[in-house]
Amino acid sequence: MLYFAGLRSKKILIFTFIFTNFNTKNMHINLSSDDLAFRDDVRSFFEENKIKAGEDYFSWRLGWFEKAREKGGWDVPKWPEKFGGPGWTPTQHYIWEQETAKANIPFDLPFGLGMLAPILMNYGNEEQQKRFMPDIRDRKVNWCQGYSEPGAGSDLANLKTKAVLSEDGKHYIVNGSKIWTTLAHVADWIFCLTRTDDSGIKQQGITFLLFPMKQEGIEVKPIITLGGSHTVNTVHFTDVKVPVENMIGEEGKGWTYAKGLLEHERTGLAGLSKSLVELEQLKDNARSVQRGNGNLMDDSSYKSKVGELEIDLLATEFTELRSLASAAAGGEPGPESSILKLKGTEIKQRIAKLTVEASGIYSSAWGDKSAGPAFAKGGTAGYLNSRYFTIYGGASEVQKDIVAKKVLGLTKGSSK
Amino acid sequence: MNFELSEEQKMIQQSVERFVQENYDLTNRVKISSEDPGYSKEYWGSMADLGWLGLAFDEEDGGFGGNQIDTLVLMEQFGKGLVLEPFLANIVLGGGIIKRAASPAIKESIIPSLMEGKLQITLAYAEEQSRFDIEDVATAAREEDGGFIINGKKSMVLNAESADKIIVVTRTSGSQVDENGISLFIVDASSEGVEKQNFPTVDGLRASEITFEDVKVSSEALVGEKDKGFKILQAVVNDAILALSAEAVGAMEVLYKDTVEYTQQREQFDHALSDFQVLQHRMVDMFMEYEQCKSLLFRATLETVEDPDLAQRTVHALKHLIGKSGIFVGESAVQLHGGMGVTEELRIGHFFKRLLVIDSQFGNADFHLDKFTNL
Repeated sequence: MLYFAGLRSKKILIFTFIFTNFNTKNMHINLSSDDLAFRDDVRSFFEENKIKAGEDYFSWRLGWFEKAREKGGWDVPKWPEKFGGPGWTPTQHYIWEQETAKANIPFDLPFGLGMLAPILMNYGNEEQQKRFMPDIRDRKVNWCQGYSEPGAGSDLANLKTKAVLSEDGKHYIVNGSKIWTTLAHVADWIFCLTRTDDSGIKQQGITFLLFPMKQEGIEVKPIITLGGSHTVNTVHFTDVKVPVENMIGEEGKGWTYAKGLLEHERTGLAGLSKSLVELEQLKDNARSVQRGNGNLMDDSSYKSKVGELEIDLLATEFTELRSLASAAAGGEPGPESSILKLKGTEIKQRIAKLTVEASGIYSSAWGDKSAGPAFAKGGTAGYLNSRYFTIYGGASEVQKDIVAKKVLGLTKGSSK
Repeated sequence: MNFELSEEQKMIQQSVERFVQENYDLTNRVKISSEDPGYSKEYWGSMADLGWLGLAFDEEDGGFGGNQIDTLVLMEQFGKGLVLEPFLANIVLGGGIIKRAASPAIKESIIPSLMEGKLQITLAYAEEQSRFDIEDVATAAREEDGGFIINGKKSMVLNAESADKIIVVTRTSGSQVDENGISLFIVDASSEGVEKQNFPTVDGLRASEITFEDVKVSSEALVGEKDKGFKILQAVVNDAILALSAEAVGAMEVLYKDTVEYTQQREQFDHALSDFQVLQHRMVDMFMEYEQCKSLLFRATLETVEDPDLAQRTVHALKHLIGKSGIFVGESAVQLHGGMGVTEELRIGHFFKRLLVIDSQFGNADFHLDKFTNL
């Protein structure tokens, strides 16, 4: 039975949901005492393990994950217990997400931990799991994701990077190009979708390969985004040799493995907990902008936009909770989950846009050494880069096609 | 009623269009922008030689006696190439103040060199606390020994890095937000007590924060009457809004046309992107916004030429629409270009940035909607 639970913290509305054996059918929004205790435990863990003045960031980071591991799999919250995860309830996951959004914890990258690891767990053989998962868990190896290609954006299955089996059957020889490869320039390994057969429909004949980035035949070129930063790259492969034991699952089945992950990625992109924190920051920033005897939050049109944004966020947060709850109850996310990426990314873009508006004349100043309040520096770069949110991981137009087709049962749409 | 440009204006339009096509491809623009002084001195010289810098000055001052329509013709074409040369700062802002209010002596010493591109000026009006309110002026000018002493700080001053002279909006009486009590002074950029902090802007142009510490000027440096500077400032800001709006319309045209072209070439799901109705409709919306902005630009410009006071409300309407539609068109162009739209590699991102900056200058969409509904 599903119940909703929530509490009002100092500034942020925190909601979570719980499953109980109560004999009541009424929904409610209170946390159980166990969940409150868990939340306090998480908070004090974050508090006790904060970085100290003068401490080296990277050794602190590794130490932090070690201590989180000692807590019982807190270093890999989303991994199942079988692979060393904490085995939390959905409520605990939600509390964790809320608290991490607010706390100052070390950065983590999703590629190995959240994207590759689930594929290894589900489709990798035991040897591959033993070979790759410990280093992922120890944050020793940086992974990047080789999916998109210059001709395969939202139409991801249209990929052309070729992998041809060598005559002795020991290697694949990979040739082709990937684009939008996040952090490829610092990655040690890549998990990559390649084409081994183009005789059937485009979703068939795709093979999932793992290989090191630092080897002959791989060239990484930066792409500078509108915000002026280098995060994404193009990657070119010329006769890259990949041992066959680095193939996940079966040849030609890679699309199936990646697709499940993509759906996971698309919900994960909503980032609502972070948006809640950013919304509060936005209000603080607007309050710091003096207008007459008041501040920008007294400006009726600005205030209305912030209000509309917050209302959307409140609704979307509960949409996410309903989605998590139905997933936990029945395994399959409900139809409401299909709108999460759409709403979540749009919310992030609106927060970024309102930050630009709050910056006023200073929104056009560029760089750290320019002018204006601290929040304005980087605010416009953040807004420009935020335009990517409705493009990557499946453009919004494609997302809507999927909703139209799969949820509303409308047959015409682009993502056949 | 006649919405046709004159033969002369058409010739100028074609000549600017050609100039932009020949000189302002993306690579060249990025190169010019990244090197000091942030624009091409050669191009600036050409603009002077072609007479573009003198178009809007009165014939008695040596100009061609043009008006805001001539500036519109220039700026719309400039917008198609994101021209970097400091036309707005020198001619519309600085030159606009001088031609409206300066004494014959100042006009004579400045306008000819401005038109030749040999002297550069700018207008310093915004302040840290003022946001978009041009009457909010704290920088003070106090009378002393027959001259004035200026103290204060100005923000986001365009082209200050290259300017030889700065027109400073100061307060000589009244409270900080009074329209009365504002006075304009022309100050040598090299004067003692003038400190500039220069930096680039989002769109690849340059701006500065300027502090004035006990800067001494003579009474001849006063432009227009003491305490009566607001009206002049407002008229010049209105001209700047018209000019920037024309530039924005040029930029929007490039964005919608580039998007239409790109979606016809790019294939996804075995179709050209332009086959998808949802994208077609988005492009129709972009086109409609562009056309509507152009209409309101003509309306506000023609009304201003007829009667600037009566045109005020339309000018507010224009800047609101330009801000809102410009960002819509920019965001849509990026969205329809997909990942490539969010990179520095295609020109559309640069046009989007310029439209974003235009919204933040001389009052954003919200500000002008508020002014419009309250006037």
